[in-house]
Amino acid sequence: MSRLDWFVLGGALLFVVLWGLYKGRGATTGEGYIGGGRDHRWWLIGLSIIATQTSAITFLSTPGQAYVDGMRFVQFYFGLPIAAVVLSVTLIPLYHRLKVSTAYELLEARFDLKTRLLAAILFLIQRGLAVGLTIFAPALVLSVLLGWSLHVNILLVGTLVMIYTVTGGTKAVAWAHSSQMVIIAGGMLLAGVMTAHRLPSHVSFSDALHVAGGLGRLNVIDAHFDPNNRYNLWSGLIGGTFLMLSYFGTDQSQVQRYLAGSDLTQSRLGLLLNGMIKVPMQFLILLLGALVFVFYQFHTPPLFFNPGPVKQVMAGPDAAAYRAIETKFARARTDQSLRAEAYVSARHSGDAAEIALTKHQLLQSHAESEAIRREGVALIEKANPGTNPNDTNYIFLAYVLSSLPVGLVGLVIAAVFSGSMSSMSGEISALGATTVVDLWRRLIGGSQGQREVWVGRIATFAWGCFAMAFAEYAARLGSLIEAVNILGSLFYGTILGIFITAFYVKRVRGGTAFYAAIVAEIGVLLCFTFTSISFLWYNLIGCVAVVGLAWAFSLAQSQSPGAGPVSPA
Amino acid sequence: MTVTEPEKEGMPPLLGSWKRVYAVVLGELLLCILLFRLFSWAYS
Repeated sequence: MSRLDWFVLGGALLFVVLWGLYKGRGATTGEGYIGGGRDHRWWLIGLSIIATQTSAITFLSTPGQAYVDGMRFVQFYFGLPIAAVVLSVTLIPLYHRLKVSTAYELLEARFDLKTRLLAAILFLIQRGLAVGLTIFAPALVLSVLLGWSLHVNILLVGTLVMIYTVTGGTKAVAWAHSSQMVIIAGGMLLAGVMTAHRLPSHVSFSDALHVAGGLGRLNVIDAHFDPNNRYNLWSGLIGGTFLMLSYFGTDQSQVQRYLAGSDLTQSRLGLLLNGMIKVPMQFLILLLGALVFVFYQFHTPPLFFNPGPVKQVMAGPDAAAYRAIETKFARARTDQSLRAEAYVSARHSGDAAEIALTKHQLLQSHAESEAIRREGVALIEKANPGTNPNDTNYIFLAYVLSSLPVGLVGLVIAAVFSGSMSSMSGEISALGATTVVDLWRRLIGGSQGQREVWVGRIATFAWGCFAMAFAEYAARLGSLIEAVNILGSLFYGTILGIFITAFYVKRVRGGTAFYAAIVAEIGVLLCFTFTSISFLWYNLIGCVAVVGLAWAFSLAQSQSPGAGPVSPA
Repeated sequence: MTVTEPEKEGMPPLLGSWKRVYAVVLGELLLCILLFRLFSWAYS
């Protein structure tokens, strides 16, 4: 990185921390620290919700996903606007009316303490583990591509986040989020414009889209129903809606963002703003990945984008074989570039037969170079047993470092850091709030004054330290990381089921919901262990199982001899 | 407690009613799906 890049990166991160500290000053009560003073406007809530959801890996992985698999990943977000509307009608008014600080307080009012604690503890487990990965995954990519120490990366992100999050609480997090979103949007927008600009001069934007589409990278909608296919229209609309309902309705890292609204209208509009922005935003990030894919149709990409395992092959006995594959790959890619040029020329000529022929040749050439690439990856796997053969997360940043101009590289890396910081701050702030409100305040009976601010700071600090420690440990987890990544879907369905039962199944009482949730969670874990069902469906399965079991248990209870009448809660 | 009591709510600052706001949000999703389908078809 050049000095200008360092200046941009350092300046951006310093600004985020100082802005968060400045705007978050003055919390004197637990409510002010955890609830952010409940004076946030809709746009601040909306930005904060988007920033919490947007992690650094979103920016590293999403363009890479489009490069490798096309744009169908956007379907994952189709449930979000539906969930935003459902929550605006149902849960948000309820949260406001009960003036709760965490989502789980509602469950004690409706059921009992043990159901509230079960949901709070499920949240603390899954979110506590996930926050470690939030900072580990981008730190790993940055450390490999930039040669920075993984430990320094984790320590830097964790320390910067804790400075303003521990000090200022929810208000500091929300205002820091607004500045992070500006950096993220600016970095990604400029990267997209520059990528389109760096295509060969005779390749227009429309030509680029035709090349990407011809090679199957613009396959946005897949309407074919297949429960084992992770990203299609139906998994996005059905499974995605349940996931988003659970995430935005019952995950404290999101609930805390809109509970900071000055009134019901501001909270609703904040969540709906997210519902409107997220799908187009993900589409644009994926389109950026598709443009990077087109860029590499006219420039030779590395055979494998993660340089770490390549270095290990080159240091071992397979170095000569790998070099030979690299040479073959470079030759195939040169041929592919010529085919891409011919396809663009044919499109300019407008000759339909020529277009069809050159497109067929381009597809054939692409398939050949992919086959050679697979040979190289197989050699990498042979030389590094246990290495991850998937280099998707490295594609975008490798492209940025090698092809974008000085200054913009610093801005994109600042956007990656901002993504990492924004999600970590929202998450540790929520973990701290749940620890204080649902455990400390409820079980120990603490006051809401200045003392609670300090308890909140200690809890947030402790979760920040836990996240950094888990991120350090994650380096040794290997393939288990993927299991931890889908952890959310293993628990979200059950938590959502408890909330839906609370809201809609009036006959169910406290103990019944608790035991139904335990049985449903065991069922979801069995599905995960013994079936190949895509993880998005666990949200639906867990949710339906809790509601169904709670209803069945309460029915059985009311029909058993000696049972009294069941009255609606 | 009863958790299903209707909530007194303010009017949204735009469009006059919450139903219209929700229709805009869901309409945008539908429009996105249709445009994405068209986009995939146009550049396939």
